[in-house]
Amino acid sequence: MDKIRFFIRQSWLLIVASLFFGVLLAVLNAQWEPRIKANEIAKFNRRALALVPDANSFEAIGSDITIDLGKGQKTQVQVKKALDADDKLVGWAFTVEGSGFADKIRLVLAVDTKFKKLKGYDVLFSNETPGFGDKIKKDFFKNQFHGAPVKEYTLTKIGDDKAIDDQIVAISGATVSSEAVVKTINTYLIQVQEGLRKQGLIGDGQ
Amino acid sequence: MANNEGKTISAQNVLLAGLWRENPVLRLLLGMCPTLAVTAAVKPALTMGCSVIFVLICSNIVVSLMRNLLKPHLRILMFTLTIATFVTIADLFLKAFQPDMSEALGPYIPLIIVNCIIICRAEACASKNGLFISIVDAIGMGVGFTLTLCVLAAIRELLATGMIFEIPVLPTAGDSDGWFVPWAAMGMPVGAFVTLGLLLAGVNLITRKGRR
Amino acid sequence: METLQVLLLAFVSIVIVNNLVFTKFLGICPYLGVSGRLDMAFGMGCAVTFVVTLAGTLTWMINNWVLAILHLEVMKYVCFILVIAGAVQLVEMYLRKFFPSLYDSFGIFLPLITTNCAILGLCLFIDLWSIKSLLETVVLSFGAGIGFTMAICIMAGIRENLELADVPVCLRGAPITLITAGLLTLAFMGFAGMIR
Repeated sequence: MDKIRFFIRQSWLLIVASLFFGVLLAVLNAQWEPRIKANEIAKFNRRALALVPDANSFEAIGSDITIDLGKGQKTQVQVKKALDADDKLVGWAFTVEGSGFADKIRLVLAVDTKFKKLKGYDVLFSNETPGFGDKIKKDFFKNQFHGAPVKEYTLTKIGDDKAIDDQIVAISGATVSSEAVVKTINTYLIQVQEGLRKQGLIGDGQ
Repeated sequence: MANNEGKTISAQNVLLAGLWRENPVLRLLLGMCPTLAVTAAVKPALTMGCSVIFVLICSNIVVSLMRNLLKPHLRILMFTLTIATFVTIADLFLKAFQPDMSEALGPYIPLIIVNCIIICRAEACASKNGLFISIVDAIGMGVGFTLTLCVLAAIRELLATGMIFEIPVLPTAGDSDGWFVPWAAMGMPVGAFVTLGLLLAGVNLITRKGRR
Repeated sequence: METLQVLLLAFVSIVIVNNLVFTKFLGICPYLGVSGRLDMAFGMGCAVTFVVTLAGTLTWMINNWVLAILHLEVMKYVCFILVIAGAVQLVEMYLRKFFPSLYDSFGIFLPLITTNCAILGLCLFIDLWSIKSLLETVVLSFGAGIGFTMAICIMAGIRENLELADVPVCLRGAPITLITAGLLTLAFMGFAGMIR
């Protein structure tokens, strides 16, 4: 009994403070959580909207698609339908993630209704070298994917960066970053296509 | 060392101590991690500075209010708990109202918890002084920290991109009649270390001249 | 075999490519403060390695097995720092009781470690990178400690020699250390992009 009393006398302030801080955090979190969630969705929507201009809203499909990243690692992707003002399907959009030169890169990909052509990508998060790798955010590189057919892309050092095909011309001085973008897109694109086909959401492409 | 004498401490003195004489970054070399990590541009640096001011003021208030109730061996635990709570609040606030900044700063906002400035002020000032002096001290130290961060960030952002606060200042080469070639290295870790080193050297030079 | 490859890559990446000191600016205070002598630096590095392995693993467990299930992510930072402080305290008591000689050699660094940003930083980065497996977390935490030790030892070695050099008066002390550190980060930047 004495022990318990000693314990309480020593630590009552700590216990009271923990309770008080706990309640404070809980209240603030409850207050701000909807806003934080809305911010995350708004960020995705802003990028995706730039890629699919005629979309009005984005709606997640029923079940996530499992992607095999190789080396025994797997991840889940939430694919979203892009719907126009009359709720008609105008494309697909989803977030992909891969490792870049310095840190992870996270991209938004948008694909057309039939999943035949890429509508392009935008960078959600990257930490590439300023002046070199961060050119993956620039239009001249991004435009190579705009309208490109959905298949495995290959990276070349020289070629026509205006031509819209599966050949992607690397950014000079930033081969690793360009490669990271191509590799990340390759990993996800075909597997998401497969996944959507299995769910019967797009045609079998024959 | 105005705040250790305990007799009459003038608020003005405490405030000025934080700004220059005991400037946390330039003179005491405290809080180096955020100083180096978030100063690639002015905007994140300013956000970081404001978060630190907020946490510093709140933790100094709380510590000062309960300074007579603290048990010596549970002191540090209590400080840490207080600081961690206010840092979480700052983090939630940024996520809710400044999502872009929150993402740019990433883990460096929660890392304010282990920023030596805050625990050092709680220990050296707030646990010994009354509410008013603690608040003034927090403002002085916080503003001193923020100003230093902003100066460092302005130099780095200007040299790395030719812009300050995302407003173009120097005409970049590639534009019509631009001459400034962005100095990408300033945006990278090496720029942070070297700029801070030279800034400290400059401060040393000024104080040595002043003493003579 | 594949798991081994993933773990090895994770280890090399955290020690060299994503070294906490050189690329994330974590643990700068002890890096600039303590690293005056090589043996001290090594002692500090060992203590940090020990605590960071423990803290990284524990915080991962708490984050994934307790907080995520109870949806209490908002308490993350408070829990992390309390776990670290607790771990440091435990290690200190354990060492004092069972390994007094070891306690004498790096006991003095232990209280400093609670406020070492490298430790909390690593816990936060593990959370940010959303590492899924416990084994990878252990390897990353241990690697972070080794990376820190390496950085602080390199710095100490340079500073021992710097004492003999003729440095301009106003650059003596912290400024020249910072500039040296800057050049070191430049060297380590050469490793970036090695792990894809």
